[in-house]
Amino acid sequence: MRPLTLRRLLLQCFALLVILFVVVVIAIKFGAVPVSLYALGRDLWNVLLHQRTNISSDYVLIIQNIRLPRILLGIMVGASLSVAGTSFQALLRNPLADPYVLGVSSGAGLGAILALIVEPHLTLSPVFAALLTPLGAFLGAAATVTVVYLLGRREGQIDSTTLLLGGVITASFISAIIMFLMSTLTGNLRGLSFWLMGDLSTPLQKSVYWFLGIGFLVASGAIYTTASDLNLLLAGEKEAMHLGVDVPRVRLVVYIAASLLTGLAVSVSGAVGYVGLIVPHVMRLIFGSDHRTLLPTAAIGGAIAVVFADTLARTVVAPNELAVGAVTAVVGAPLFIYLLRRRLA
Amino acid sequence: MSSLVKQLFQTVTLAAATLLLGTTPARAQSASLGSSTSPLYREVTDETGRSVRIPQPVRRIVSLAPSLTETIYALGLQDRLVGDTEFCDYPPDAQKKTKVGGAINPSLEQIAALHPDLVLVTKGLNRLETVHALDNLGVASYATDPHTVNDIIASSKRLADLFGVPEAGASVAAEMEHQLAALQQRLSSSPVKRALFVVWHQPLISVGKRTFIADALRYAGAVSIVEAEQDWPQVSLEEAARLQPDYLVFAASHSEASPPGLEALATLPGWNIMEAVTNRRYAVISDAVNRPAPRIVSAIEELARQLHPDAFVEKSEKLSEKSAKEKMEKEKTEKDKTEKTPPPPIQQSHSAFSLLSSGLRGSETVPGGRTCAR
Amino acid sequence: MSPGSSHARHLAEAGRLANEIRLSVEQVSYAYSANPAQAPLFTLEATSFQARPGEIVAILGPNASGKSTLLKLIAGALAPLSGRILLNGFVTHSLTPRTRAQRIAVVQQESRLLFPARAWEFVLQGRHAHGRSLRFESEDDILIAKNALAQVGAADLSDRWMDQISGGEKQRVILARALAQQPLLLLLDEPTLHLDIAAQIGLLDALRRLAAANRYTVVVVTHELNLAAEYADQVVLMQRGRCLRVGPPISIYQRELLEQVFQTPLTVELGSSGRPRVTVLAGTSGT
Repeated sequence: MRPLTLRRLLLQCFALLVILFVVVVIAIKFGAVPVSLYALGRDLWNVLLHQRTNISSDYVLIIQNIRLPRILLGIMVGASLSVAGTSFQALLRNPLADPYVLGVSSGAGLGAILALIVEPHLTLSPVFAALLTPLGAFLGAAATVTVVYLLGRREGQIDSTTLLLGGVITASFISAIIMFLMSTLTGNLRGLSFWLMGDLSTPLQKSVYWFLGIGFLVASGAIYTTASDLNLLLAGEKEAMHLGVDVPRVRLVVYIAASLLTGLAVSVSGAVGYVGLIVPHVMRLIFGSDHRTLLPTAAIGGAIAVVFADTLARTVVAPNELAVGAVTAVVGAPLFIYLLRRRLA
Repeated sequence: MSSLVKQLFQTVTLAAATLLLGTTPARAQSASLGSSTSPLYREVTDETGRSVRIPQPVRRIVSLAPSLTETIYALGLQDRLVGDTEFCDYPPDAQKKTKVGGAINPSLEQIAALHPDLVLVTKGLNRLETVHALDNLGVASYATDPHTVNDIIASSKRLADLFGVPEAGASVAAEMEHQLAALQQRLSSSPVKRALFVVWHQPLISVGKRTFIADALRYAGAVSIVEAEQDWPQVSLEEAARLQPDYLVFAASHSEASPPGLEALATLPGWNIMEAVTNRRYAVISDAVNRPAPRIVSAIEELARQLHPDAFVEKSEKLSEKSAKEKMEKEKTEKDKTEKTPPPPIQQSHSAFSLLSSGLRGSETVPGGRTCAR
Repeated sequence: MSPGSSHARHLAEAGRLANEIRLSVEQVSYAYSANPAQAPLFTLEATSFQARPGEIVAILGPNASGKSTLLKLIAGALAPLSGRILLNGFVTHSLTPRTRAQRIAVVQQESRLLFPARAWEFVLQGRHAHGRSLRFESEDDILIAKNALAQVGAADLSDRWMDQISGGEKQRVILARALAQQPLLLLLDEPTLHLDIAAQIGLLDALRRLAAANRYTVVVVTHELNLAAEYADQVVLMQRGRCLRVGPPISIYQRELLEQVFQTPLTVELGSSGRPRVTVLAGTSGT
């Protein structure tokens, strides 16, 4: 009998953080433009010493303004999607659930398209113009979450099966609308295809990063308080109730928080696929199904996965860039098949 | 907490702090980007209505569209071009420039590393996100958005102004206008032919009435029969049959435009409804028609010759020696086509390449929006 | 609040009221209708009984007699239409799920886990209701869980995976989880349904032993006449949503009454243990 202790949890997280650090260093080093680790170390040292005049302009341009923001975005998107995926798998009692199964990404996509349609008719400052698509996506996601919640209730409370059905139907419906719009609209929607696949290449305002970070901490924190409850929920809803879990409250908290995480991630990066589905399973294989461990390790694991995938996306066909969602799909699908076979074996 | 945990905590915090310190996305100073040290700027409005601050003079240009690259060469500014896309293949010298990636997915790092004063984009090909990203980095970008042949001429003149060479712009414009006027005169008595411009054959995609390609057809004595608001409308075969075009027009980048492909068209189900297919009334012109650049005029003339051969029979003494030579060269290439000699290697690899890439990256002819939403 | 102190509190409560009523079901009725506009599909008429610490109560009756519904009402999972259920003076339905789980343990027939878990993890789930919501299990929790497994004779199953043990072994682990909750009330719905005869006897022997040792009140829903007769201190006899009789087996097990309830000819005799024994007369049932 080896129950979970805080010490073991911290050790596991630390190990993963080390791997994340290594992946981040790799991501900083590799790209379309070669960067030497020595020069990087020297420039970083100068930054720490506040000697900004000694820093090469290439460092500022490439590392600080392009690569690091992108890496940070990757970390937050990966962590958000993985925590959301873990939560939905517990909430819906379905190992095939991913963050998008309840239609959040479709809703965000529709919001983004509407933002693109509306954009030429508005005169906005450049700051707002760049924020319009993420804002539209987030509003679309929020609206979808509300609709699915209303559809997914039974006798006033969220019911797992009804929620799943409502979400899947809504997702299909919105996808159909998106396809219709894309085939009839006159404007240039070429960029949307990239966004729909998941794309980290658009740098964002500093305020957006803060927004993402705070949103992630709040939502993940809320979910983490229900970690023990989620463990019991997986044993069965009635059993969980008899063991002391306030099932309706837990369902509501997890639904809102996980949808918020997904909405934030999708708004800024599009629908990066497979991360929210597979990272939880991999972490379960390594660390077990206890959500008190699973949630933080999935978050870090997701960050590792997305940063790594994005690095591949930037370097494999340099100077061209692939969409990060394409890389996660290509790597994720075989990995999923492998996990599936392992489960059956 | 035990001391081990404390140590772990400290290490993690230090690592996080190091990472965060390097991460504040500060706005880069514009001065460090451009090669010029003088802080002169010019405020212009580009063709999409954006207000842009362009450093003066413009010494380093990156072009993100093949048409813009061609225009720069036409204006004689190729020495200022420091980077272009993989698809920029005309003139051949453009292929030697540093590549920054595709038009839709260029590498921001690569662009930034070239320290451009100005990046040229065009609305019909490049993404809005790329423009936003360049804004965020403090790199000026100017967008063109031509919908007619006159727009193309005006764009070229404006670009010339931007770069401080208005005379080159005027001369390019004058040359284009002169050739087009001469063409108009030749075709003044020829009936307008109804044409279907085939962007892609399966599914059948044509051009909308607000595209420059549709406008270009008019100058060649033809009219695009598709009345659609969209830029790349998908046309059903029934609709094509109802409209019964006189000619089908293909651009050489389309693989089906090579002689065996054209023959195969007649065997595709449903295509025989069109008389133009059964009678093999095809016109194949160079890829220049797909690019809103000065070279489009040569493609227009090429098309005119194929649609109205009788208008070009007599050699008038009014023609200058130069244009006579050009005419002879064009007739020679036409003869080459009919004799079925393979096209020059560069062009062939280009068409194969664009066939491969059309699904994902695409040249200017491929419509966006065929991937499915998740 | 450490689990040790809450256990002490329970014992004090239990001790103080040692021979006093612990569970009081007072005129509890219920109605269930799928469509609010239509007449109810099922009703439970006003039912009452009481139970003390250390007692085993069997809710006995044929199918669709309302036994499971009554159990759910006692568990607090359903709210009664009228009447109330008191556990040591607290109305069970008005308690929060957490406080309810500290006092009432429901033993399921089986458990379908979505992801694999070991037996000790499973039993530790019973500690969830005690202590703060998000926490790591303390030494006390681990001790209580080990103890619970030992009490059901499943200490050697501790490290085994739940999906790799037999049905009978699983039932014991499920019972251990309920014991780990340190409840006052233990509820079981047809626990012997999937068990062979030896396992059935083993389970009920364990229940009797545990009820006596830990002063649990045990309520078991069953349709097994002889098991109820042998092990129950009180029997609540139900038929079609009505409670017909409440009392010790001796007084309930009358031939005419049982024949009418179970629609089968049978005989009732006094067994060697002093409890009634029912023999069903097969082959002569009407229709």
